[in-house]
Amino acid sequence: MKRKKIKLFDVINNTVLILIAAICVYPFLYIFFVACSDGAFLARGQVTFFPKGFNLEAFKYVLNNNDLNVFGGLLNSFIYTAAGTFVAIAATYITAYALSRPQLKQRYVLMGLFTITWVFEAGIIPQYIIYSACGFVNNPLVMIIPSMINTQFLIICKTYLEGIPLELEEAAVVDGANQFQILAKVFMPISKPILATIGTFYAVQIWNQYLVPQMYLKDEQFQTIQQVLKQVVITSGDSSTTFRNVVQNGILLNQQNLKAAAIFVAMVPIICVYPFVQKYFKKGILIGSVKG
Amino acid sequence: MPRMLKKASAEAVPRKPLKQRIIKDIRKNYLLYLLLIPGIITLVLFKLGPLGGMVIAFEDFSAFQGVFGSKWVGLENFKRILQDPYMITLVKNTVILAVLSIVVVFPIPVLFSLFLNEVRQARIKNSVQTLSFLPYFISSAVMVSILYTLVSPSYGLINNIIKFFGGTPIYFMAEPEWFRPLYIILQIWQTFGYSSIIYLAGITSIDQTLYEAAEVDGANRWQKMFKITLPQISSSIVVMLIISIGNIFSVDLDRILLMYNPSVYETADVIQSYVYRIGFESTGFPDYSYGTAVNILKSIIAFVLVIIANKLAAKYSETRLF
Repeated sequence: MKRKKIKLFDVINNTVLILIAAICVYPFLYIFFVACSDGAFLARGQVTFFPKGFNLEAFKYVLNNNDLNVFGGLLNSFIYTAAGTFVAIAATYITAYALSRPQLKQRYVLMGLFTITWVFEAGIIPQYIIYSACGFVNNPLVMIIPSMINTQFLIICKTYLEGIPLELEEAAVVDGANQFQILAKVFMPISKPILATIGTFYAVQIWNQYLVPQMYLKDEQFQTIQQVLKQVVITSGDSSTTFRNVVQNGILLNQQNLKAAAIFVAMVPIICVYPFVQKYFKKGILIGSVKG
Repeated sequence: MPRMLKKASAEAVPRKPLKQRIIKDIRKNYLLYLLLIPGIITLVLFKLGPLGGMVIAFEDFSAFQGVFGSKWVGLENFKRILQDPYMITLVKNTVILAVLSIVVVFPIPVLFSLFLNEVRQARIKNSVQTLSFLPYFISSAVMVSILYTLVSPSYGLINNIIKFFGGTPIYFMAEPEWFRPLYIILQIWQTFGYSSIIYLAGITSIDQTLYEAAEVDGANRWQKMFKITLPQISSSIVVMLIISIGNIFSVDLDRILLMYNPSVYETADVIQSYVYRIGFESTGFPDYSYGTAVNILKSIIAFVLVIIANKLAAKYSETRLF
């Protein structure tokens, strides 16, 4: 009797949790189903759990239509994310390295200042005034330079480097290595896991950003995919003039198809890399939460 | 005695003058200083700079005269805030969203991780966890776009269901009373998997002998969950709670800016979105000083709340953040 009761709990518990997980990801799947269905079925509300009249015309249309700027936005976002992540990892790592060296006496002062700027945020307007004085308005570098050192990731990185035994550095010094060589040849190779963790976080952050590009990059040629999405899906509303029904290769595409296709291409890079980097995400959340 | 001797001998060696020591230090560590250049630029220009820029809250800032040239007006901008009738709506909306996100959103990941911890099959446990925290990494623009698609009055899935049952379609994104529920649903969807990782990590570090002892005493599953697991992670819960009280006014600005439109301002407009509109969407010359003053006032209130929450936490649960 007792045994059976426990089993029932397990069955219900597992079912409910799997259902919750399914609800979490269903909207993403739904967007995909809509994007690759035939518009004729969509108009009758027949697409719910699988695509009907499977085709990829909607993706072709939104990527090829230059007025929508979806392709341009994707390309910009890719460039900003790649360059920004590279610069951010490099800047954060070398700063963390310098600040973790005991021979640098000013490191406590600098770390303290970094922490102050982490706790007290200036707000978007003073930031805009300073950044615009630095020439970041309508300058794509705003996605790369000002945010290259995130204080939280700096602390994570510095803590990691401080955990590496000093003997390693001393041995390298005896062999005649200078600080650059020690950084590149001794510390870099053993820091790969932490670099992967902060790298994935930086990449997701840059890719997902909406506010910063919206404030600084108004010019259409610099816009990110997130801004494009706001334009084509949200601002345009239901009575859309952005999308009209089109027939491409004999398949009807309506605004629902096309919007879903735009949304899907904006999230597909994250979804694609997610299975490979999710262990770094998990790790990053845990280190971050211990510090924060 | 040897300690004293050592001290005396250290004093006996005269310290070199400051200038010489600095030169020696730079000569010895110049490569380290070179490595610090990007860090110092970031710190001074992009982090401390904007903090210093906050002085414009006490000025009548004009872009032509700059931060240093603008007229100093003292607390004039803050006085204007207190006289602004719209502030009441803003504070009300901000506080309601904040309270909802603590009362409604906060307990969900705690419960979720308690039940997820009871799953015996590691594969189910891992997949559920992995899927549930995927939305955290999807941008607000995508999440809000999906919401728009789902609730669209002409073709959205939700309205199709409503129509199927004979109801009339609801214009969710244009109805002020729907803004808060939708905002909170998005927040739950986007964050609960992420927060539950932290609690699950806490649960795995619980001493297993506690459960064995409870089993000997005849405790059932529910008792183990709520009398052992929950109290054991209470310190992480309190820390997370203090952090979220500290963020009480830090609504997700991306989400609000993407979700709201003038027809729902009466419930959706919060302090930050107002500051954003003052700075970046006003017609004519934006009133930067006023926007900054509003933001400073918000930060001060949030800071006071954290101090109070921390005090209360220390008093009632012996856990504190600082």
